[in-house]
Amino acid sequence: MGQGALMEPTLQPSRAGADARFVSVVVPVVERADDLTELYRSFSAALDGQGEEHEFVFVFDGGFAPPAELLALSQQRESVRLLRFARTFGETAALRLGIERSRGDVILTLPAYFQVTPEGVTTLIAALTDETDLVVANRSPRIDSWLNRVQSVAFNRMIAGVTDRPFHDIACGVRVMRRSVAEGLPLYGDLHRFIPALALREGYRVAEVAVPQHPGNARTRLYGPGVYARRLLDIAAFFFLAKFTEKPLRFFGLVGSGFFAAGAITSLVLLVSRLQGQGIANRPLLLLAVLLLALGVQLMGLGLVGEIIVHLRAPHRRAYRVRERTNSGGPGPHPTGSGPARSTSSGQA
Amino acid sequence: MLGEATAPRSGRQLDLSVVAPLYNEAQNVAPLVEWILEALGSYPGSFEVILVDDGSRDDTWQRVTAASAADPRVRGIALGRNVGQTAAMMAGFDHARGGVVVSLDGDLQNDPRDIPALLGKLEEGYDLVCGWRQRRQDKFLLRKVPSWVANRIIRRLTGVQITDNGCSLKAYRRDLLDRISLYAEQHRFIPALSASVGARITELPVRHHARRYGESKYGISRTVKVLVDLLTLKMITTFRSRPLVGFGTLAIPMVLAAVLFTVMAVVAASEFQPSKAEALVFPGSALICAGAAFYLLMLGLVSEVALNAERESANEIPTAWEVR
Repeated sequence: MGQGALMEPTLQPSRAGADARFVSVVVPVVERADDLTELYRSFSAALDGQGEEHEFVFVFDGGFAPPAELLALSQQRESVRLLRFARTFGETAALRLGIERSRGDVILTLPAYFQVTPEGVTTLIAALTDETDLVVANRSPRIDSWLNRVQSVAFNRMIAGVTDRPFHDIACGVRVMRRSVAEGLPLYGDLHRFIPALALREGYRVAEVAVPQHPGNARTRLYGPGVYARRLLDIAAFFFLAKFTEKPLRFFGLVGSGFFAAGAITSLVLLVSRLQGQGIANRPLLLLAVLLLALGVQLMGLGLVGEIIVHLRAPHRRAYRVRERTNSGGPGPHPTGSGPARSTSSGQA
Repeated sequence: MLGEATAPRSGRQLDLSVVAPLYNEAQNVAPLVEWILEALGSYPGSFEVILVDDGSRDDTWQRVTAASAADPRVRGIALGRNVGQTAAMMAGFDHARGGVVVSLDGDLQNDPRDIPALLGKLEEGYDLVCGWRQRRQDKFLLRKVPSWVANRIIRRLTGVQITDNGCSLKAYRRDLLDRISLYAEQHRFIPALSASVGARITELPVRHHARRYGESKYGISRTVKVLVDLLTLKMITTFRSRPLVGFGTLAIPMVLAAVLFTVMAVVAASEFQPSKAEALVFPGSALICAGAAFYLLMLGLVSEVALNAERESANEIPTAWEVR
């Protein structure tokens, strides 16, 4: 990926002690941005107020340039870092780059606009205890227009049908997670909207915490029809990913056999009428029957291609993630089950 | 999402690993461990017992940690979430350090006292010894009949003469486990998959007990899924090294149909004066069939591309088995 970084971060171990945690705030600047300097100042102040050691990593997508004031700040302070894509790669790529280049053991993702109040973010970080691996904000109470609320509820309802557990505000850009979680998520395409659901699928413990919505987030936002269409496709993509990546033929076979059955019934109807002495040469229904049969076979063929790919990848992939081990005694990094011992590292196909 | 496999299989220091996947089997953990240790009391080599907790929601994991605290040979692996029996077994296999691996159900329906007999059979020169449950203690209509039907079909389709594919009690050589990768719900097809890499397979009658604690996790709807999976597996294992041939075979009926419709179109055109509709229907059908056949061949080419991209790791050259 051709990512042109404005400033290369100097990689250095920055953890003071084992207990002290270091929060990396990753801000993907995509699609929409408020005054970033003000954003930085207010959230940084809130984190300082809680005594949380932190850094800010801004990732500018193509078409966004860092404001001069922020640029000056980043030159003064080491805890403000700016990265910039050479062209538009989108939010998921921005998050991945931010996570990769950040140093903290806790990652906080923050939209480039005021979505929740700075105080809310500190409660979110406080909610990341030993019992949770990822905490997602649930904007509540919501103070924006009824139109946006309806959109949000509709989106979350639809997603609830395909995730392991319903979420109230899955697409909220404010989330806190451990570094191991952030690095283990299969993030590609437009999957950033499903981060809590992805983490849940990976077997991490996910919590939702109510966080007050920022007054600046209250105005009505309207999107074009293309945006809604893409959201629906995102949900479909996630659904397929969640249910059928290991057995694509179950999906294609089901749809394909539906077409095939319809074609078979139509052919049967034609056959009966032919046996009754009626010619079929002038029946366009024959075209439909043949088309349905052919479509059914083609879809099953596609499913088979999927199965072949899955089968070929099988030696390199594991469907499980090890959370804990006892008496492992092996070369693993965690001899006793004290923390999340990963024997598999998630990658993407 | 699936993870990339790393190599936790390093270091074969033991003779035997016993792997048992557990899902909501809290009450069965302690007796299971006790039975296994008792059964292996006179085992001459070194061994370990690997208990894989497949994301149980009861306190199975607490029982496992207790058991492994009591005996260093008992190792526990907790998975992040419930991933099903196949993946849980794979987790156990991946972490097993024994040169021989025995798998069994965590619900006490298999009898660990059969393990020495399985190991003895393995010593005769087999790579896989499958348990064959005698006098199954399960519900007749819901479990035994579907299982009998499924096993017959599996035998017919795969040509592997194993009576009881569903029995978890099996003994494997490490060599074999390194060559097969199970995913989705393939644990039932271990004999078939093993046969496809050239393993020597046999079976041995084993005891079977009624469930003591907990609920059975099977149902009759599985049988249909098993059959679909089996057909898929059959197609993949038959054509995995030459997908174009497979898709070409699929395309033959389409080609035949296209030829048939072409003949009908010619006959219809020569025998009587066709109307507009008649002039379209047969040639149209012929074109659709020809198009579908062409499309299937293209899919075969795409598969060849995928295969080629994976060729290096696909392990397609059948590595020779060590002669014993």
